[in-house]
Amino acid sequence: MSLLPEGAAVADAWIIEPQRTGIIARAAEFWRYRRVLWFLASRAVTDRYKGTTLGIFWLFARPMIPVLITAVVFGGFLSIPSDGVPFVLFFMTGIIPWNLFDRSIMFGTKALEQHRGLIKKLYFPRLIAPCASVAPAVVDGLIYVALLAGAALFYWWKDGVFYVKIGPFLPVALAMAFLSFCAAMGVVLWTCVFQTRYRDVRFSLRYVLQFWMYMTPIFYPLSLVRAEYRWLLYLNPLGPIVATFRWAVLGVGEVPMGPLISASVIVMLSVVVGLWFFTTYESSTMDRL
Amino acid sequence: MDKLLVEGLGKLFHLGAAADDERGVSLLRKLGRWVRRRPAEGDEEPVREFWALKDVSFTVAPGTILGVIGANGAGKTTLLKVLARVITPTTGRIVGSGRVVSLLELGAGFDPDLSARDNIFLNAAMLGIPRADVVRRFDHILEFAEVGKFVDLPLKHYSSGMYLRLAFSVAINMEPSILLADEILAVGDLNFQERCLERVKQEAEQRGLTVLFVSHDMDAIVRVCNRTLWLNGGQIAGLGDSDEIVTEYQTSAWAHGTHGADRGRHANNMAAIHDVSLVTNDGRSVRGLSTDARVSVRMRFELMQSRTYARASFDVRVRGQLLFRAAEPEMRLFRSRGMWEATMQVPADFFSETTYTIMASLTVSRSAEGRQATLVTPDALSFIVYASTASATPRNERDSRTSGLLTPQFRWRFHRLGTRAEESEDDVVTA
Repeated sequence: MSLLPEGAAVADAWIIEPQRTGIIARAAEFWRYRRVLWFLASRAVTDRYKGTTLGIFWLFARPMIPVLITAVVFGGFLSIPSDGVPFVLFFMTGIIPWNLFDRSIMFGTKALEQHRGLIKKLYFPRLIAPCASVAPAVVDGLIYVALLAGAALFYWWKDGVFYVKIGPFLPVALAMAFLSFCAAMGVVLWTCVFQTRYRDVRFSLRYVLQFWMYMTPIFYPLSLVRAEYRWLLYLNPLGPIVATFRWAVLGVGEVPMGPLISASVIVMLSVVVGLWFFTTYESSTMDRL
Repeated sequence: MDKLLVEGLGKLFHLGAAADDERGVSLLRKLGRWVRRRPAEGDEEPVREFWALKDVSFTVAPGTILGVIGANGAGKTTLLKVLARVITPTTGRIVGSGRVVSLLELGAGFDPDLSARDNIFLNAAMLGIPRADVVRRFDHILEFAEVGKFVDLPLKHYSSGMYLRLAFSVAINMEPSILLADEILAVGDLNFQERCLERVKQEAEQRGLTVLFVSHDMDAIVRVCNRTLWLNGGQIAGLGDSDEIVTEYQTSAWAHGTHGADRGRHANNMAAIHDVSLVTNDGRSVRGLSTDARVSVRMRFELMQSRTYARASFDVRVRGQLLFRAAEPEMRLFRSRGMWEATMQVPADFFSETTYTIMASLTVSRSAEGRQATLVTPDALSFIVYASTASATPRNERDSRTSGLLTPQFRWRFHRLGTRAEESEDDVVTA
């Protein structure tokens, strides 16, 4: 390949062309700019709580308050069965993978819009923007995990039973969390591009996600759904992910093996297709930003 | 280091209702528009296409400071943005080597809440520069930026001058092979500007730094750039020696009325300004002169009708600041139409060592008291004044004697009070 002119075969030569460089070159570049990712991510997290008087308090209160409300309404008033564990623990193990998914989408969708000023002035791999914007969702996820640990200790003191199964299955829970994060990225890579053209995307997503949440076994166990309809819930990739996460942490419910495999395939495919879409429409989106 | 090669570069933008103003338009409204229009007639609203750059090819040798000039919308910034990889080209390619640092905006990527120290690392990261390189150059950055003791102060407490110095210092100290500067060297105080330009020149000569410098300030272009690229409507209109290209550009700008179009008109049905230049006593046109030279400002204009009243005037400015307006006191009657020439003689030892721009105007009227129209060429002329070679005094000594934007020589007389003037003058001994 003699794309380079005579004498330009030095190590740091580069070419700018309409068609973009290959996957490996892009990955290497992403790695080179990792500190930008880290900076934008940490700024996304701190900006959320900047200016609030109670800063660190909100960090924990924001996730805790809805958990308590749901626990009182569904677990208390409606007495929804929870596979034999306290409803708070049952609900929280559902909400951890779900929130990672839901929050990542909501934060990630506004990524390009959020960093418009920077993107128009400086070059960095554009993929960094959506990756950095989901950081608050990951932080929220970690806080939920801390709250879950707290709740587990509380029930240990109250019931004398430590419901969380410390053991070889915890990495499975981690894998499920990662899977739901990937599922979110598969969505974000599309929505953040659309968001720059249609501001309605985030508004409508809020309601789509709400509906999606009810379709996912988060505050009800799958055992409540009649067996012949269960496959319907498993069509939703988040269904088996949430169920497996709960099973890995609390040891209740089931591992829907078949649906889980298909969900993993769907998620990975959606990430790959999302990456393709994002990188293809990247440059025309930047022109319009 | 290799030359920078730009080949058949083109950038197509999609404009118009279908593309440009989509931002912020609600999807519902778009849907509504689509639904309403569809049954009426199947006409698609045409997407306007606009080539911001078209078939631009040139090479730049290392160590070149390339000025990029052209009217607004000529594609200057687009070219820089493509080079900075902020936007992707539609056609062609650019081949180069080494680190490209862009200053499309000074301090883009600075975080006002962070200290200068943190921002230096952040900005470097944004420019894709490894941390180790920054550590190595850290002291040089602080030194050039002259923010030494404020290094741990959050940037929001910085003055705009400090901010600017820091941003430029980070960029230049990262040892770029190519520096892209969009109008930025035209900001900041004079002293800092000089230092920036000095540093850029030095790096160009010593390391072979290539600079692409976009500016509307023709003085700066002529002073700093060894070559100049003139873009017009996204295409190359000229490339070569800065002096030549700038003159060509300015001449064409008047001829086509593009330059003055927004601020004034250079022609109407009564008259037209054709050329404004600085001429020496022997009639040569010059763009630079020494402080002790005798020159005239000359305006050539055309009167379309005989018996026209007209008055020429020149506004002399330094960096946009009006020093004075020189005009004839009254309208003058020109009995015949055709080409005319007005010259304004400037005495020697009048201009100071700096760059001046002149705006030329011609006020015309059909009668002495009638309605007047004024033709204006805003940046008609710019020229540089340098120290006369006759004076061998070093600059710092001269400065103590004469300083300011004009340094006219006046006639001095001294006389001791209480005696006759002739006697007292003999008492004064000149060195």
